[in-house]
Amino acid sequence: MHRFLVLLPLLAALGATSARADELPIFDAHMHYSHDAWTVVPPAQVVEILKKAGVKRAMVSSSNNEGTKMLQDVAPGVIVPELRPYRSRGEISTWAKDPTVIPFVEDLLSKRKYMAIGEFHIYGADADLPNMRRIVELAKQYGLYLHSHSDADAVVRHFQQDPKAKVLWAHSGFERPEKVREMLRTYPTLWCDLAFLTSHASNGKVAPGWREAFLEFPDRFVLGTDTFTPERWHYVIEHARWSRQWLSDLPPDVARKIAYENGDRLFGGELSGGKR
Amino acid sequence: MIRLLLALVLAATAATATGASAQPLLDWTEEEVRSIGRHGPWPPPPVRDPSNRVSGTPSGILLGEHLFNEPRLSGNGKMSCATCHQAGRDWSDGLARAQGVVELDRRTPSLWNVGYSHWFGWDGAGDSLWAQSIRPLLDAREMNGGTERVGTLLRNDRALACGYEKAFGRKPGNDDELLLVDTAKALAAFQATFVSPRTPFDDFRDALLAGDRGAAARYPMSAQRGLRLFIGNASCNACHFGPRFTNGEFGDIGIPFFVRPGEVDSGRLGGLTRLAESPFSLLGKFNDDATGENARRTRHVRRLHTNFGEFRVPGLRQVGRGGPYMHNGSVATLEDVVKHYSEVNPDRLHSDGVPLVRPLALSPDQSADLVAFLRSLDADVPPRPAAPPLCP
Repeated sequence: MHRFLVLLPLLAALGATSARADELPIFDAHMHYSHDAWTVVPPAQVVEILKKAGVKRAMVSSSNNEGTKMLQDVAPGVIVPELRPYRSRGEISTWAKDPTVIPFVEDLLSKRKYMAIGEFHIYGADADLPNMRRIVELAKQYGLYLHSHSDADAVVRHFQQDPKAKVLWAHSGFERPEKVREMLRTYPTLWCDLAFLTSHASNGKVAPGWREAFLEFPDRFVLGTDTFTPERWHYVIEHARWSRQWLSDLPPDVARKIAYENGDRLFGGELSGGKR
Repeated sequence: MIRLLLALVLAATAATATGASAQPLLDWTEEEVRSIGRHGPWPPPPVRDPSNRVSGTPSGILLGEHLFNEPRLSGNGKMSCATCHQAGRDWSDGLARAQGVVELDRRTPSLWNVGYSHWFGWDGAGDSLWAQSIRPLLDAREMNGGTERVGTLLRNDRALACGYEKAFGRKPGNDDELLLVDTAKALAAFQATFVSPRTPFDDFRDALLAGDRGAAARYPMSAQRGLRLFIGNASCNACHFGPRFTNGEFGDIGIPFFVRPGEVDSGRLGGLTRLAESPFSLLGKFNDDATGENARRTRHVRRLHTNFGEFRVPGLRQVGRGGPYMHNGSVATLEDVVKHYSEVNPDRLHSDGVPLVRPLALSPDQSADLVAFLRSLDADVPPRPAAPPLCP
């Protein structure tokens, strides 16, 4: 009996910890809802998945951008719209040299409100191509973030074109944490998403190198699942669970920032009615 | 005149000697020859699995053969391992999706050369062949046998009990879980003997490495051109390498993996979860390798986001005799497999670094050559004799 009484508070504490961890809200800054997903994962199912995963808000782009609108229509307080310069996902490797892309982007910008342009794919010197330069100009003109799937070289070129550009570096460039820290030190308006990365955490523990990065720049990282195929919408719940596990290995205030607060502060302002 | 006649006769003789050889040999570079050499020699030495005490033992193999064909291991008494893994169908069943008690979501993989693998099943949930052999015995959708049924059968069937004692050096005891594991170890010992025969490719490879141009030139030109593509521009050997034509790992090649509306087959990711939860993994108490060396891979494997929707890279020996193809049998013919790689939708592949899979945009001739090469990895298999009795 005595042992049982000793166990009770312990169990209660464990339960409370677990509940708190589950309650950690998530802002997912890297989601796609492209044309091939619309029928196999309908908008209502997407919203249900986000709810189950505890993703309170999500920045979504889609090829051809209609998917984003479809989700906004069913969950206006949840979906942060991002303009993707692709009409089909097959344009990943052709968009930068396609003269029809810029009129498509300009037309959408004139009609709808977005928080970012991306996720686009650009590497090295291609970041100086006319299309990419124009995208940087448009982002400046409309006050938008650039969500760039790129190497460090391309990110440097974005900032050369507009030193005040606001860049969300997709997948943290798949770079080593030391390089990521170097870039964050150099560019104060660079943020990093952790989508599709596993190098920063394993078995619920944050990896050395990345821990230092998160502690040095707690305001500069956001989460992302990257639903680049329709099937990956069914990974969102598990990804959120996995993220909460490694986030629990960080100081609670840092975990909260990376999980939700950074994303909401940077991209969620419109949804909060301008209040942050 | 005599010298002229002699010269003519010699020339004719030479032509006949090489002549099967009438077809030329491609001008293989040294690098290509080295690359081709890495797909052999064949067959490799027999496998011994240190985690399985009866691996490679004649009594273990014989017990395994009897158990492999034993329908009483299944819940309904009608299904054995051989129901799906049929010797006459290259140890598979020719179906797009395996048929257990119900239709499953994946194809029955061929068991050719399975003993040389290090991960087992389409998702690699098994880290040993014996651990993998337990799953269908217990899975309610497959044989639905149950641990107790296996133990009871081994204890009560005189021939099986005798075979067990010969293989394991003790009579079947009362520990049903141990008997289940031992059953699986005998099954694994038997399956590890499924080594596919030598093929036209092996003859070509050995001749090329030996510098025997005449023998090498017997390999059809279309297969040679296909092989050049395989190890060259198409880079198929990035994943399908080594003597078994597989790296034994997992990949996402752009095959959709919804199994029904609202449900996906998470592939390797789910396999790793099941591996971590399994009491039968190499990290558990049933591993016969006291050194623990063979568990290193299991100990260090990590879950990656890329694992979601990845499936095991299959070996290609006997590939032309199998089919349908892919983990879910969604591709009907070998020609369709090549077409898939020729036209794979890059939208489905994550752009992270240099993609291993990309649309090859093959011409019809190139596609035919690649198929011809793949078919040169096939060999006829002699009929299997019936298993001798366990205890005559």
